[in-house]
Amino acid sequence: MVTPETLVAASVIVYIVALTLYTVRVVKGPTIPDRILAVDALTYDLAALIAVIGLLLRSPLLVPSAIVLSLWVYALDLYVAKYLEGRELGD
Amino acid sequence: MVIDPYLIGRFVGAAIVLVGAFYDLTGSIGMLRFPNFFTRLHAATVGAIGGSVLPMLGVSIYAASEPALGEYRWFMAGASAIAALIILIVAPAGTHVLARAAYRSGTAPKEPCTYDAGEEGDER
Repeated sequence: MVTPETLVAASVIVYIVALTLYTVRVVKGPTIPDRILAVDALTYDLAALIAVIGLLLRSPLLVPSAIVLSLWVYALDLYVAKYLEGRELGD
Repeated sequence: MVIDPYLIGRFVGAAIVLVGAFYDLTGSIGMLRFPNFFTRLHAATVGAIGGSVLPMLGVSIYAASEPALGEYRWFMAGASAIAALIILIVAPAGTHVLARAAYRSGTAPKEPCTYDAGEEGDER
């Protein structure tokens, strides 16, 4: 008997495999933009995983932390881009 | 035989979450196997839009049709939809900023290169 809970639990396993592969790229990425791009993808998928786990555990208060995570990694993008171009943050 | 509409909603949401997990696995394999920073941008887009925005919408549908959550299910559905909207806006902007900085600073090598449209001037 296939229930929706089993589908969601199977997707959690797939998410954990994908997070492991992203972590490999974060560790061995040759340059700085590679690592920052991998941290980007890692964090967006971590946000989705948090929402899915909140669905499995039936705790709705886990979901707003996904918004905070995505905004934080956007700030990381802007900061590293400004660092790579060698400017201050206001230019 | 009476079919529960809440059950259909939960199946639709769980199927969307599963499709998003497939997109996420595809994006992570591409992130590992592509040879170059500028080709890995494509894998990052697949992993962010297909692997994060789509499951958030699936979580929204699932949570809206789960009566066991009580009144909090509207909170969970709305928060998931807003998180999907924010990621949909923020992920391409961040990726574009990072690609522009990496191209202009020359940090990332562009070794397997067939055509470089930025080489011919147009310096800004």
